[in-house]
Amino acid sequence: MVKIQRVKLRYSDGEGLEGVNLEVRDGDFTYLVGPTGAGKSSVLKLIYMDEFPSEGYVQVDEYNSRDVRPSEIPYLRRRLGIIFQDFKLLDDRDVFENVAFALRVTGVRRKDIKRRTLRALAEVGLSHKSRKMPNLLSGGEQQRVAIARAIVNEPFIILADEPTGNLDPKTTVEIMNILDKLNARGTAVLMATHNFELVNSSTKRVVSIKNGRTLT
Amino acid sequence: MLFVLKEGVTGFIKARLAGFVAVMTIAISLTLIGVFLLITVNLGKFVDFLRSRVELEVFLDDSFDEERIDLLGTEIRQIDGVDELTFISKEMAMLEYKKLFRDAQADYIETLGYNPLPASYRVTLREGHRTATEAERVFTTMAEIDGVGENNVVYRREYLVRLEKYINSAIAVDFVVGTIVCLSALLLVSNNIRLIILSKTHIIETMKLVGATPFLVRMPLYVQGMIQGILGGIISAIFLYGLVGLGSLKVPGILTADWRIYLIIANFGALLGLAGSVTAVRRYL
Ligand SMILES: Nc1ncnc2c1ncn2[C@@H]1O[C@H](COP(=O)(O)OP(=O)(O)O)[C@@H](O)[C@H]1O
Ligand SMILES: [Mg+2]
Repeated sequence: MVKIQRVKLRYSDGEGLEGVNLEVRDGDFTYLVGPTGAGKSSVLKLIYMDEFPSEGYVQVDEYNSRDVRPSEIPYLRRRLGIIFQDFKLLDDRDVFENVAFALRVTGVRRKDIKRRTLRALAEVGLSHKSRKMPNLLSGGEQQRVAIARAIVNEPFIILADEPTGNLDPKTTVEIMNILDKLNARGTAVLMATHNFELVNSSTKRVVSIKNGRTLT
Repeated sequence: MLFVLKEGVTGFIKARLAGFVAVMTIAISLTLIGVFLLITVNLGKFVDFLRSRVELEVFLDDSFDEERIDLLGTEIRQIDGVDELTFISKEMAMLEYKKLFRDAQADYIETLGYNPLPASYRVTLREGHRTATEAERVFTTMAEIDGVGENNVVYRREYLVRLEKYINSAIAVDFVVGTIVCLSALLLVSNNIRLIILSKTHIIETMKLVGATPFLVRMPLYVQGMIQGILGGIISAIFLYGLVGLGSLKVPGILTADWRIYLIIANFGALLGLAGSVTAVRRYL
């Protein structure tokens, strides 16, 4: 469960979030849509607690922005799967290791790492490319690796910041299908996008954001 | 734990150029520190050598008989700080004199008909007493002994005072240089680790994103810093060994190096590598 209540966020040079209310229940699929600079990435940062509100609060499961301890934040993030427009893959290791990375750095036992990594890769349809280096893959494939890495820790929600921003329409559909499939299995998805077309053609819940304010 | 070691080691291997630069930076810093240490140690040895030559000479009146001379010797020996006492007879004094002024034709005994040089005691001081103030104290005590008097005791007072002035300024310079060398080494190393951290922002960001604990984010960097430090230490030990070899070829006997210096340098390298990564991680992570 994610709940953002009457949140304001101030960056050092002004401009941030003016008034954000948002709730994503377990299993929900929600679009966060708005033009560039509206504050979408900021909202996601609040959820993975990279930024903290100057007013209001953010609740993610039992973690509340008001009293969360810095040492708890890694454990909060293990319950989230985060993907970005630019994939953020590590180009010094292959696909398998990129996905396994999320398990290795969170202290998962070695014999579980292989099993869970292979399962996540199968989920995004990349089992056959597990030993390829990421920079040899297409954009769509790279985003699928990023999704595999995001889900390998079995998060209750996927936070997607413009995941299709760098992809052509056909690949966009591919990625959307994967997110849909994961959602159908029970994982909540919160996807930030400025692609109104994509949002309008969908029947999912939409929250609009503009000038740092969510509209209801 | 395995992850930490693996990331640390592969991080080091993959850093290649940056890693090489870091290792060489540490090696050069340590070589500077090593050269400084060597100079300090050898300076200390040289100072000890100069001090060990501090000597007081007590001239004995020709009228003293053997018993009186022995008694005086015992009294002098009892003075605090006195190390060794050597008796120089009139004959030995003359012999030395002749040796010293080989060219001087003058033969006192032939001309005067007797040996004008007095017998003496040469007194060396114990370690820790070879200073200007101590020598002066011993001098005064000796002069107070019955039958000696200030005029019959000599030592190179001026020389010792001047020597101490030089030693003190050498120590001050040595200290300042040492501080500068150590500080710049630390600065170089932490700057290097800062560059490494910058080159790793991507992986660090990813680690934080997937929920790695700060411990796990930092440890590989520490391991990497340690590896670089130890390698830098070993390389600088080799440098130093070469430098000492070269130095003693040119000026044999001047430069001496204890094997412990190499050990200190290698350990210091590990410490420097670790300290560098810790400061950089604190500041930039
Ligand atoms: N780290 C930051 N420091 C200062 N201002 C920022 C920072 N991040 C975002 N902003 C500002 O906050 C506003 C919202 O940005 P962002 O959340 O990135 O919007 P979006 O993702 O919808 O494009 C913008 O005006 C942006 O310039
Ligand atoms: Mg954005």
